[in-house]
Amino acid sequence: MKNNIKDVLIYNVGAVIVGLFISACMLFFLKVNPAEVFAEAFKKIVSDGYTTGEILVKATPLIFTALAFSFTYKANLFNIGAQGQFYAGSIVAVTLSLLLGGVVPTVPLIIILLIAVFIAGGAVGALIGLAKAKCNANEFLVSMMSTYVVAAIMDYLLRTVLRETKGEYLQTDPISKSAYLVNIIPGTRVHLGFIIAVVAAIGVWVLLYKTPLGFRIRAVGCNSNAAELSGIRSSKIYVIAFLISGGLAGIAGLTEVNGVQHMLLQNFNESIGSFGIGIAILANGNPIGVIFAALLFGFMNVMGTTMGRLPGLNIPSSIIDYIEGIVMICVIIAYFLRRYVNTRKDKKLLMKESEK
Amino acid sequence: MVTPVVELRNVSKYFAKVIANKNVSFSVGEGEVVALLGENGAGKSTIMKILYGLYGADEGQILIRGEEKTIKSPKDAMTMGIAMIQQHFSLVPTHTVTENIILGNVHGKIALKKYDEKIKGLAEAYDFDIPVESKVGALAVGVQQKVEILKALYLETKILIMDEPTAVLTPQESEHLMGFIKDFAAKGNSVIFITHKLKEVMEVADRIVVMRDGVVAGNVLKNETNERELAKLMMGKELAPSEKIGVKDFSEAETLLELSRVSVVEKGETPLLEDVSFMLRAGEVFGIAGVSGNGQDAVCEVISGSRKLTSGDVLCCGQSINSYTIRERIDAGIGYVPVDRYRDGLVMDMTLAENMMLKSSFSKRWTKHGLLSRKVLNKYTSDIIRDHKVKAVGPEETAKSLSGGNQQKMVLAREIDVGQKVIIFNQPTRGLDMGAVDRIHRSIIGEKEKGKGILLISTELSEIFEMSDHIAVMYKGKIMGIFENGQLSTERIGLLMAGYTGETEASGNEK
Repeated sequence: MKNNIKDVLIYNVGAVIVGLFISACMLFFLKVNPAEVFAEAFKKIVSDGYTTGEILVKATPLIFTALAFSFTYKANLFNIGAQGQFYAGSIVAVTLSLLLGGVVPTVPLIIILLIAVFIAGGAVGALIGLAKAKCNANEFLVSMMSTYVVAAIMDYLLRTVLRETKGEYLQTDPISKSAYLVNIIPGTRVHLGFIIAVVAAIGVWVLLYKTPLGFRIRAVGCNSNAAELSGIRSSKIYVIAFLISGGLAGIAGLTEVNGVQHMLLQNFNESIGSFGIGIAILANGNPIGVIFAALLFGFMNVMGTTMGRLPGLNIPSSIIDYIEGIVMICVIIAYFLRRYVNTRKDKKLLMKESEK
Repeated sequence: MVTPVVELRNVSKYFAKVIANKNVSFSVGEGEVVALLGENGAGKSTIMKILYGLYGADEGQILIRGEEKTIKSPKDAMTMGIAMIQQHFSLVPTHTVTENIILGNVHGKIALKKYDEKIKGLAEAYDFDIPVESKVGALAVGVQQKVEILKALYLETKILIMDEPTAVLTPQESEHLMGFIKDFAAKGNSVIFITHKLKEVMEVADRIVVMRDGVVAGNVLKNETNERELAKLMMGKELAPSEKIGVKDFSEAETLLELSRVSVVEKGETPLLEDVSFMLRAGEVFGIAGVSGNGQDAVCEVISGSRKLTSGDVLCCGQSINSYTIRERIDAGIGYVPVDRYRDGLVMDMTLAENMMLKSSFSKRWTKHGLLSRKVLNKYTSDIIRDHKVKAVGPEETAKSLSGGNQQKMVLAREIDVGQKVIIFNQPTRGLDMGAVDRIHRSIIGEKEKGKGILLISTELSEIFEMSDHIAVMYKGKIMGIFENGQLSTERIGLLMAGYTGETEASGNEK
């Protein structure tokens, strides 16, 4: 088991390095020297505390959306709709913050918000779970489409009741300072949300591997027939798994609204849902692994932005999209390579033993 | 010396964690019927899958008519005249018989009528009664097997491999199959058939290759051996016969489980169960015989709670449990060893320990302060591994890494614990080797002696006869009669299993 984790680490780190190398080579097409650009960007990230902190800031919501995907994945379900559940959390976070900010003291307010966003995201999730449990709807499609529904509702609210008092842009008024998630590293934008994310990841791990409920979720995921025959109602598990998954994605709404943007605006963080899926796969669905995988993506994200800002080179910051893509592919290839190598190793060992 | 049709030389095959075959060598001559005999997991199917091109050999050579060949796929095998009938048929249920047979060997526009005629002729030549125009899904299993054979014949197979061909057949159908094998071989073809049933081997084989633990343990001519020697070769030791049970008087015993006129009818279909009634009493083994697929699974399901009944009552200790959920029935003390442990019995990707708590995941016995206690669970599982002599490294090994027999022992151990009153065994020894079968039989007897009620469903008549106090025969969802053990001969039970009643019914005392 320990060996296994070591293996996963070696292969995944190797894959990330190979992926970065391949993407670096692509920079030649932009007529720049990749080594120089990378070194320059890296230097900037390391030397500037604010930029280093950005890695944690970017990683925070990704941890939640990746946990959301991982959680249903353990029940052999696919929650592709973390983006929508995140929006649901964001709407509730901003609404309550606008209403209660400055009225309720910070600590109880944040606790109320935390519960509320979890319920908001969880409600969206539970509806998907219910559709799956009651009508055997394909949760993949339902969850995917649910994102569009929630996004449309958010748009509508931004145009109507939630619209800023100036009425200029499609965004809300800024929330009261007392509703901010406190900054935990001075000189950066890193906020309490990162701590909440790490605690959530550990909590998910405990829930999945140390509680009977988590056991039942995994049992349904591995073999729903056997679970059903053991008195575990898979339909109930579907709803519970989606509820928790959606709730986790909902918390990202709190960390982004109250920790970073301090308001809600149109097309808010529109790709954290899909990145969450990639991160969950990179982490092999392991909640603790999700933290590190999210940090890696946070790093690459910051790297891309930094590269785009390097003076005189004219590198589009969207370059990061393809770097992340190539890294992802390498990780998946590494997964199969690892399996192949291990099988061969076992075989060789057997051959040797049987000769004796 | 005559060149053998097939010769295997030192063929070895390694899977990730096990040696499937090691230095397997034997040959098959023209017109010869070779039985590949061995316990499950002995490597019989693997070596044949290598010959059929489904697996690649890691070492060794395969010679076809004296020439070394590499067989990369079944397509290669077919061009060499080799066909294999798998345990699970490879037929398309929504296609007709003809379509299935010509599948993969026709191109362009198909003149189906012409092929229908051709196949019909082929079937008649071998005395097969097959409706070539009907859909395969609508045919009985025995007939489906004939379709598979016909498919092989259509390809002008010279070497026919059959994997456990009689597992799904009634005694009468088996006999017919044996006749075919003899015929087919008499025409100069070769047959290799895989089996673990000694009786068949003695009946039809010319030569017997015995496999054990992936190696050839014996290669003998039928005329020079006997069943006893073969059994010894198969297991590496002689087996103590389990003692025969006398029929007890159950009139005083408490009724633990009762089915009263239970019917299950899905809309617009023939009933799965029709008016099924029987009683299971404390300390009794109630055997249900029948060809698989005649409603036995439905009986298990209405008792375990995974299927709703249309009418009738299921009573546990005199109380109707019709409205109980599966969980409530588990709590009531009904254990259930399902027929398909891969699908229903175990979670293969989970550890043994986790599988042990599957049915009691709601119980507090595994938790401390709401969290699962690995210590408690591992201790419990280690004890089971020791007590039931399961070959496993430890409680944290995944279920899938165990052999079939050891997996079954784990399921059995769990269900014995769950089933404090009643335990249902649905074909508990299907596909297991004789050593494991023996252990499982002993466990069943042990539970019976503790005063539990045992419902034993089996397609193996020998098992039914050996274990049961009372025997019911099922056919098409109905109980053809309930008999005391000893009242029925093999012939009669065979007829009942095939749906014939007549004079047998009159002589059987209904319970």
